[in-house]
Amino acid sequence: MQTKMRESDPILEVENLFASTENLPILKGVSLTVYPGEIHAIMGRNGCGKSTLSKIIAGHPSYNITNGDIKFSGENINSLEPEERAQSGIFLGFQYPIEIPGVSNLEFLRVSTNARRKFLNKEELDTFDFEELVKEKLELVKMDHAFLSRSVNQGFSGGEKKRNEILQMALLEPKIAILDETDSGLDIDALRIVASGIKKISNEQTGIILITHYQRLLDEIEPTYVHVMADGQIIKTGGSDLALELEKKGYEWTDNFVKET
Amino acid sequence: MEIIEKIKTNQLINNQTEIQKICLHKLQSSPIPNPKSELWRLSNKSKFSNFLNYSVNEKNSKFDIPYPENSQNSIRLIIGENCKIKFIKENYSIQQLSEDELNKYIKDQIACFDQNENWSDLLNLSLSSKKNFLGLKINGSKIPPIEIFSHASSNSLNAKTLVIILEKNCDIELLQVNLGKENSSLSQSTFFVLEENSSVNHGVVSYGKNKSNLINSLNVIQEKNSSYNLGSLHFKFNYARFEIRIKQSAGNAKTNIKGMQITKKDEQISTYTKIEFNGPNGFLDQINKSLADDKSHAIFEGSIIVPKIAQKTDASQLSRNLLLSNYAQIDTKPQLEIIADDVKCKHGATIAQLNEEELFYMRTRGITLLEASKLQLSSYFQEIISFIPVSKDKWDLLDKLLNEN
Amino acid sequence: MVNENLVKDVVKEPYKYGFVTDIETEKISKGLNEDIIRLISQKKEEPQYLLDFRLKAFKKWQKMDEPDWAGLGYEQIDYQDIIYYSAPKQKEKISSLDEVDPKLLETFDKLGIPLTEQKKLTNVAVDAVFDSVSIATTFREELAEHGVIFCSISEAVKNHSNLIEKYLGTVVPASDNYFAALNSAVFSDGSFVYIPKGVTCPMDLSSYFRINSGDSGQFERTLIIAEESSSVSYLEGCTAPMFDTNTLHAAVVELIALDDASIKYSTVQNWYAGDEEGVGGIFNFVTKRGKCLGKRSKISWSQVETGSSITWKYPSCLLLGEESVGEFYSVALTNNLQQADTGTKMIHIGPKTKSTIVSKGISAGNSINSYRGLVKMGTKAAGSRNYSQCDSMLIGDQASANTFPYIKSQQPNSEIEHEASTCRISEDQLFYLQSRGIEFEEAVSMMVSGFCRDVFNQLPMEFAAEADKLLALKLEGSVG
Repeated sequence: MQTKMRESDPILEVENLFASTENLPILKGVSLTVYPGEIHAIMGRNGCGKSTLSKIIAGHPSYNITNGDIKFSGENINSLEPEERAQSGIFLGFQYPIEIPGVSNLEFLRVSTNARRKFLNKEELDTFDFEELVKEKLELVKMDHAFLSRSVNQGFSGGEKKRNEILQMALLEPKIAILDETDSGLDIDALRIVASGIKKISNEQTGIILITHYQRLLDEIEPTYVHVMADGQIIKTGGSDLALELEKKGYEWTDNFVKET
Repeated sequence: MEIIEKIKTNQLINNQTEIQKICLHKLQSSPIPNPKSELWRLSNKSKFSNFLNYSVNEKNSKFDIPYPENSQNSIRLIIGENCKIKFIKENYSIQQLSEDELNKYIKDQIACFDQNENWSDLLNLSLSSKKNFLGLKINGSKIPPIEIFSHASSNSLNAKTLVIILEKNCDIELLQVNLGKENSSLSQSTFFVLEENSSVNHGVVSYGKNKSNLINSLNVIQEKNSSYNLGSLHFKFNYARFEIRIKQSAGNAKTNIKGMQITKKDEQISTYTKIEFNGPNGFLDQINKSLADDKSHAIFEGSIIVPKIAQKTDASQLSRNLLLSNYAQIDTKPQLEIIADDVKCKHGATIAQLNEEELFYMRTRGITLLEASKLQLSSYFQEIISFIPVSKDKWDLLDKLLNEN
Repeated sequence: MVNENLVKDVVKEPYKYGFVTDIETEKISKGLNEDIIRLISQKKEEPQYLLDFRLKAFKKWQKMDEPDWAGLGYEQIDYQDIIYYSAPKQKEKISSLDEVDPKLLETFDKLGIPLTEQKKLTNVAVDAVFDSVSIATTFREELAEHGVIFCSISEAVKNHSNLIEKYLGTVVPASDNYFAALNSAVFSDGSFVYIPKGVTCPMDLSSYFRINSGDSGQFERTLIIAEESSSVSYLEGCTAPMFDTNTLHAAVVELIALDDASIKYSTVQNWYAGDEEGVGGIFNFVTKRGKCLGKRSKISWSQVETGSSITWKYPSCLLLGEESVGEFYSVALTNNLQQADTGTKMIHIGPKTKSTIVSKGISAGNSINSYRGLVKMGTKAAGSRNYSQCDSMLIGDQASANTFPYIKSQQPNSEIEHEASTCRISEDQLFYLQSRGIEFEEAVSMMVSGFCRDVFNQLPMEFAAEADKLLALKLEGSVG
């Protein structure tokens, strides 16, 4: 399927990736290449390995890569720490953003933004300048300034947490953003806000991976490619019409596919 | 333990005061606490004997510990240095208790001492000379914040005693600072009476140095409708014990405690609290945090006692602990003893590391592991530090905890 | 309707198991010394190693002090005023149940534990212990087909001596504590269970302990061994007649689980608790401990403690095997002047071990009900977890509920979480139930059994129903 001509180098290359947690294999040979400007949707049943793939790309310490490589801008990042990956431009939007009681959201956002800016050889921002920047970005996700003074994600509603994720994405300006079920738990208005935020942040240079169950996010953001995962593998890849097909057919056929192979 | 020998033979102190005589006499029969008792079984024996190994020093060396500058509007007292204290202003007064008042009060206290439970106070009162004995009576309103310092001198054991009687309807902020010196032992006992409708925000910061020891005992009696808030912090001691005994003498009072102890290297710091409700409608909210790193040992034992008379008591106690090293250890024992049936009591305890998912989340945002840990720790610390009243900012406590230790 | 009448009948009699069986017994003289121990051993025709085990334990016991740390209040026990061996007089060798004294069979019938072929329970194999000896064990042949050994410990000493020699005292050493040492010196009978490799025991196994004579102590000893990949569910029930003197019961239970084995041990303890003034009743000083020796092994204790004048009991788990699991589910109910000091010890030694503690204490009358537990993470217990929940319910303003959790960790990569709360039955809740037409006492017992639900769910079916009924009976008249 991937026949479109690409002029630039890929941002992310996942090559025949096998991974496990507590000796339990989760990924069983995943390959995926993302070029600048592309939007990839990964769909599949719960437990098929979608979220694991996103966590492994971000460097979660609980998972071991048993075989295969992850390359970012051509460099192997298998052994990089999560923060090194983030600083170099990999962003993971969490399905369940973590609550961190006691740590102020503003401070958290500032420290992480500066860590990324430092990597990009940009000047680090003091509190004052950062407030200016953050104000601008808050607009994108239609968040109130009051969110900044609360603890990270603590007491946020589901929609607020997801918007906070997109706010972080806007601040960190990643080269690739992996959004793990960013649409789950959102009503249609919140979904539109999030989707329009994602569209505004992304451009010709960024790659996006959307992990989702549902068509409705893909109605807002049209994917270049759609991948279907089952049992730790990508079993089918197609264009945006594949998602529509899935919506009709459901996922049952993927189980049979796994059995057959 | 030369001191113990001297106590046994009554050769420790010349010119004994009446209080010293009574306490020494009490100690002679059993000069050290029962090492098998709940309050002492986990206490490191060699560290405890190190505490007792310095000779008693009644004099106070001119100390070189730089206190942060005293602000205009607070009152600063140093136990052992201020002989005469008398602040009589339009709206308040702070006066020294007379010797008679002091003796009477202390004798009443001693009468209900238990040899084991109050051993630390018995030792303190045996050793504390008149000069190191500060008794205050406070009344009035709009009282400026008060800072009271105790400090040890190198190569000696210093004993300091503080008695504060807070009269009715009075409201104060008090920061007590205990400073350790290298190779020193400090015995600090504090007796606090909160009369009806009084309220205090009490901060206790005990900050040691290399090889300093501390036994810090705090006895609080709360009368009806009083409110006692305690924020405490103990760190950098070779060996430290913080004993808190609070009695709501007729219930109907509020107690809030937020305490923290941080141990590194091979330090041992322990906190023992006993909260007793002697009347109905008492309220307690207590949290104690420990952090143990390197080869250190942190201990918390808390008991809440709710007799039959204490109906409608609402008490909660939480022990939260962070164990950061493979060689460190943490013991915790939050306990409830309840007879009244119409009460709400709960306690909880956790021992864990820093939360890994939280750390990972921060790291995916480019924050380094070290920074992420500091952010987590500072929020862990901040809850306690923000509860300590008076000039806490001047002490840069958070910075000391995160960077200096 | 029938059931209701039955309940009412039973309520009239505060303790329905309080009768005495009039049977001729063989008793040895009171007192404890080396000769008595030799005599017990000789009566049981024991091999030399067991006599040595007893004598060694006795020597240790003599040097030990009776523990007082639990703060239990009871008059000092005169250990020389107890009979250490008492057995119903029977024929020398009994070859079948038909030869068992009908009075004994009748006794167990009355206790709801029929033993005869026609009447025996269909899904549970029973070992019935009367004072110092085991009377009968049902379903032996059926179990033997699966290779399961279920017999009295005296028989096991004779027929499976190698297993006894290998495992006896390896979980609870004779010197473990005062009462364990005493038991090791004088234990009379008890049950022995051996589940061979790969076998899932086809039915629940059960021991029923009956103290009949007033002046003898009961010192039973139970040993359960589950070989690799085997599993067993074991139930234990206890009753005793009403005497106005106190009877000492000091049992030892040892469980051993090898790789992938699982043992579930359930107790409904209903020893006579003494009368309303606290006269009489059993002193129940028991040491129960399981060793999860193998990888992924599991030991689960569940107990409903309603009887005894004093209970002093901490069924524990030593979690040695990697990924082994320990569980403790307990309901302890005290009324009148009963004292219960119970809880568990979860000692995490191996990596990735898990333990769960759920304890529900209900104190009524003038009773004292304490939870005392220890959770310890050793230096090698990386990746281990414990969760404990201890709830107390107070009924009336004279009862007391205490919680003493000792928590110790030497392993940063482990988690311990302990929660405890105290509550009483709220008037709002009672009113709500009553407004729906539920009688006051029934509402109370509904609330109590609701409070205990988490633990009852762990009990085998027959036990759960029994336990519910037992609690309701025990609480009769204590509310209001």
